[in-house]
Amino acid sequence: MTTPEVHIKATNLAKSVKVADGSLTILHDISLTINRGESVAIVGASGSGKSTLLSLLAGLDTPSEGEVFLGRHPLHNLSEDKRAGIRAAEVGFVFQSFLLLPSLTALENVTLPAELAGIKDAKARGAALLQQVGLAARADFFPSQLSGGEQQRVAIARAFITQPAVLFADEPSANLDAQTGQKVEDLLFKLNKEQGTTLILVTHNAELAARCQRQYRMQAGRFVNKDNEGLADVG
Amino acid sequence: MLVNIAWRLFWRELHRGELWVIGFALFLAVGSVVSLSGITQSVNSALKQRSAQFSAADRVLRSSQPFDSEVITQAVAQNLKVSRQMQFDSMLFAGDKMQLATIKAVDDSYPLRGELQLNRSSVAGVGDAISTQPGEVYFEARLFDLLNLQVGDKVELGMSRLTVAGVITQEPDAPLSVFGGAPRVLMHLDDVAATEIVQPGSRIAYRYLFAGTEQQLSQFEELMQPQLNAHQRWQKLDNQSAIGGALQRAERFLLLSGLLGIVLAACAAAVAASRYSQRHTQSVAVIKALGATTRQIRLIYGGHLLLVVAFSLVCGIIAGQLAIEAAQFGIQYYLGDFRSAFSWRPIWLGSLTCLICAILFAARPMWRLAGTAAIEVLKNTTLKLELDKLQLLTGALAIWALMWLFSGEFLLSVGLFLLCALFAALLMSVAALLVKLAKPVAAGQSSARRLALANLRRRLWANSFQLITFSLAIFLTLLLYFLRAELIGQWQQQIPEGAPNQFLVNIAEPQRAVLNQFAAEHDLVTGQYYPVVRGRLVSVNDEQLQQEATKEQRSEQRVGIGRELNLTWLAQLPDNNQVVSGTWFDAKSSAQVSVESEIAQRLDIKLGDTLAFSIGGQQLSATVSSIRKVDWNSLQPNFYMILSPDVLADFPATYITAFYLQPEQNLLLNQLARLMPTVTVISVDNIIQQVNSIISQVTIALSFILLIICCAAALVLVAQVQATLEQREQELAILRTLGARHAFLRNALLLEFSLLGGLAGLFATVLAESMLFIVQQRAFDLPFTLHYTLWWLGPVLGIVLVTTLGWLQLKRLMRIPGAVLIRRVLQS
Ligand SMILES: Nc1ncnc2c1ncn2[C@@H]1O[C@H](COP(=O)(O)OP(=O)(O)O)[C@@H](O)[C@H]1O
Ligand SMILES: [Mg+2]
Repeated sequence: MTTPEVHIKATNLAKSVKVADGSLTILHDISLTINRGESVAIVGASGSGKSTLLSLLAGLDTPSEGEVFLGRHPLHNLSEDKRAGIRAAEVGFVFQSFLLLPSLTALENVTLPAELAGIKDAKARGAALLQQVGLAARADFFPSQLSGGEQQRVAIARAFITQPAVLFADEPSANLDAQTGQKVEDLLFKLNKEQGTTLILVTHNAELAARCQRQYRMQAGRFVNKDNEGLADVG
Repeated sequence: MLVNIAWRLFWRELHRGELWVIGFALFLAVGSVVSLSGITQSVNSALKQRSAQFSAADRVLRSSQPFDSEVITQAVAQNLKVSRQMQFDSMLFAGDKMQLATIKAVDDSYPLRGELQLNRSSVAGVGDAISTQPGEVYFEARLFDLLNLQVGDKVELGMSRLTVAGVITQEPDAPLSVFGGAPRVLMHLDDVAATEIVQPGSRIAYRYLFAGTEQQLSQFEELMQPQLNAHQRWQKLDNQSAIGGALQRAERFLLLSGLLGIVLAACAAAVAASRYSQRHTQSVAVIKALGATTRQIRLIYGGHLLLVVAFSLVCGIIAGQLAIEAAQFGIQYYLGDFRSAFSWRPIWLGSLTCLICAILFAARPMWRLAGTAAIEVLKNTTLKLELDKLQLLTGALAIWALMWLFSGEFLLSVGLFLLCALFAALLMSVAALLVKLAKPVAAGQSSARRLALANLRRRLWANSFQLITFSLAIFLTLLLYFLRAELIGQWQQQIPEGAPNQFLVNIAEPQRAVLNQFAAEHDLVTGQYYPVVRGRLVSVNDEQLQQEATKEQRSEQRVGIGRELNLTWLAQLPDNNQVVSGTWFDAKSSAQVSVESEIAQRLDIKLGDTLAFSIGGQQLSATVSSIRKVDWNSLQPNFYMILSPDVLADFPATYITAFYLQPEQNLLLNQLARLMPTVTVISVDNIIQQVNSIISQVTIALSFILLIICCAAALVLVAQVQATLEQREQELAILRTLGARHAFLRNALLLEFSLLGGLAGLFATVLAESMLFIVQQRAFDLPFTLHYTLWWLGPVLGIVLVTTLGWLQLKRLMRIPGAVLIRRVLQS
């Protein structure tokens, strides 16, 4: 076995936001290391700072303090446009509320990131992915014509089209009923495994978290079991 | 790739409303600017061409020296048509009779514009368009009697004997102020040399007439201007007719009200663009999260705006040009030989307007949209219609830029802009006050009314912008409606139906009775008889006046008028005269004179000065007792000097009067000419008809603008309601969930809109009334009267307009079954 390659490394991350009376720190002193190909869950109650952390790791936002590396990219030092470039090339997203563009069809939504990244065979890839998520017949449907579960499957296909090195999923099944959610999760893990993607999954669902190799538990903007590098019990 | 995405998004967005609203708003702006500036330009050039007809040419170069072949050469080089004429006063002899006449010698190409009508008989009336031949002269009708000649007789002029060929029926460039003056004679230029009248030192006016396209003419003028010597000068085309003033006012008014329509349309575009941006905020965040840079987003959404702009620009220009064509067709119908010309000016003016509107009103929200942070994807952003301060600023800047562009006057645009800003601020504070007041009122109301008031309060405050634009829209509609009525009324007053169109000049005392009888026989109503005595003003306060109008003023002598004046005496001040200082004559007045204000200023005549006149060799003097302002635009006999009745009573006078002749009675003129050959008939029928045609053109243009403003106003309302659609949908869903019944929600909605509309209508009424007050005082010199209709029309219009438009857009929302609505809102 080769030594695992570090994919994401964060040290002493903190995030403060401006509020009416001064500033509020919503993330304190977060450090973590995630290896390439690993699947990691970030768990915690609503409002504990999971999404905030995810936004920093994915380069959607920059930390107020600390450093975060995605591969060899120092996300904390890069401009918005540089980070956009990295996202286009290396990062995939699945969101809680699907966030498909309402005016594009399912297929067009799937191919959008590929087109932004300038990939030539976007359409063929998109069609193949839709086939994989079982929605080939819905390719020309608009999001408003799809059920929640179908929308999230389209979103998953969209996340994988650029064959990203890392996938961030923010509560991917929280807006779905248990059965549909289960199906979506299965799909996520299946594609993740096939493509060997690093997966960072934000959830408050213990069962879902348990399917990841490792877990970080958050409370009020901090890791509660700071140095848990193994499987932690989340109840 | 990016182009694909942009195009796809654009195409899919077309069925949502905002892009259409932006597009239609820009279309309205472009279309109205192009058509308005084009139409005023056409009417203007029609007017110019009409005055060209009265000068027999497009341009006239006057010279006191013989013809200079260099001028002709240059004109011909510019492809201009040229005609030469000479004019001088000379004695005519026939047997033992002689008479001083004004002789005009013309060449074969005369006239270049307008129509010369000559008649091979001694009776004026309907003539034929024939030209003068060498060896012939044509007389003004009264000359036949004065010289006791018949057609075919010979008349002596200088050393020549010429044949009297007929009568001048219509001479295009005869001076209009021919109330008196020497009788006119037309001869051929080739005969002048033989008369030997042209001697060194003789006073002869040489004229070059030019005609061609506007471009050729201005090129020629530019070329000639520096070469003119002291004896040559360009004659300004006389635009100071009754129409000139009215049209100038109309043009300013057209452009200004057009501008207001554009501002409205631009507001609609801004609102729609804001909403478009808001609706796309989440999409942009998603696209950014997926890796798009801000620049790429700008290209996508900038592309959308560009497509809309290009589309509206092209459509607007086409529509505007069509309107111009239609207007020119209309003008051609009235002014047979109207030559229309294509001009780029309306097009670039329209394009510039479009760009200003698009960049400063619509581009800002799009730009802001592109700035949305990717992080927004992780937040549950709720839609909020917030006032963007920079957008307000750029919008205001755009309005000012447009004002400047259209008025062409910096100070005026700044003043107008500040006034508008003041109005806006005023409206804001009134809106705020009303919000405060609405709360206690709401307490004692039924629940539907309470909901309506609560909604209104919330929206009013959150969005007093909405109230302002509603008010502005209604205000403009009202203002234009009333101003249009006022303007048209004023013009019609200037030339009322049945206003005198035939002036009779040179009526001798005994002919009055004959004329009265003639009038009675043919059911004609003659107007007032103005007695006229011709005389010179020789001195002011015993200071002799210069009698020759010369270029170099001799400083030691007072400036004179340099020609004979028509003097009259009247006991009553004429309607179109206004005493500005001193008092009008009363019964005891003796040896007094009332002087027209402009000539008084020019000759430095003051109240109390003593003026001496020379009439037929006799001297008389009078004291200045009043200075009068005269409306020269009115088609009435006007006089520089009016004496008190006692002064001139003993002098032999001729009379001027006027009557209205219906077109089908035109042949009566021949009878009249036979009955009284010495009386000159001056027909202003042509002028009146042309004035009326132009007025009707302008009236159509005004109605057209009213339509544009109404459209723009409606567009603003539509855009505003559209902007709150999502928010309303959410509220409706919540209210439905809480168990509100359909009828209740509908009543609340209708009530909310009618309150809003009524309020906006009331604001608009107050604004319109104050604006009308200013305009009436400033522009029209009219006494202010309250417009009672306005006070009910404004609020009613507001209620009907806002409620209808609001309801039309929201009834769809009301019809959606509650369950669907709730699910839709919860899902988004
Ligand atoms: N821009 C912001 N301004 C103020 N508070 C914020 C902002 N962003 C996040 N928060 C707060 O920070 C906390 C963490 O938010 P988030 O990361 O979204 O939590 P989670 O995803 O775990 O539910 C929450 O209490 C939230 O209200
Ligand atoms: Mg979250």
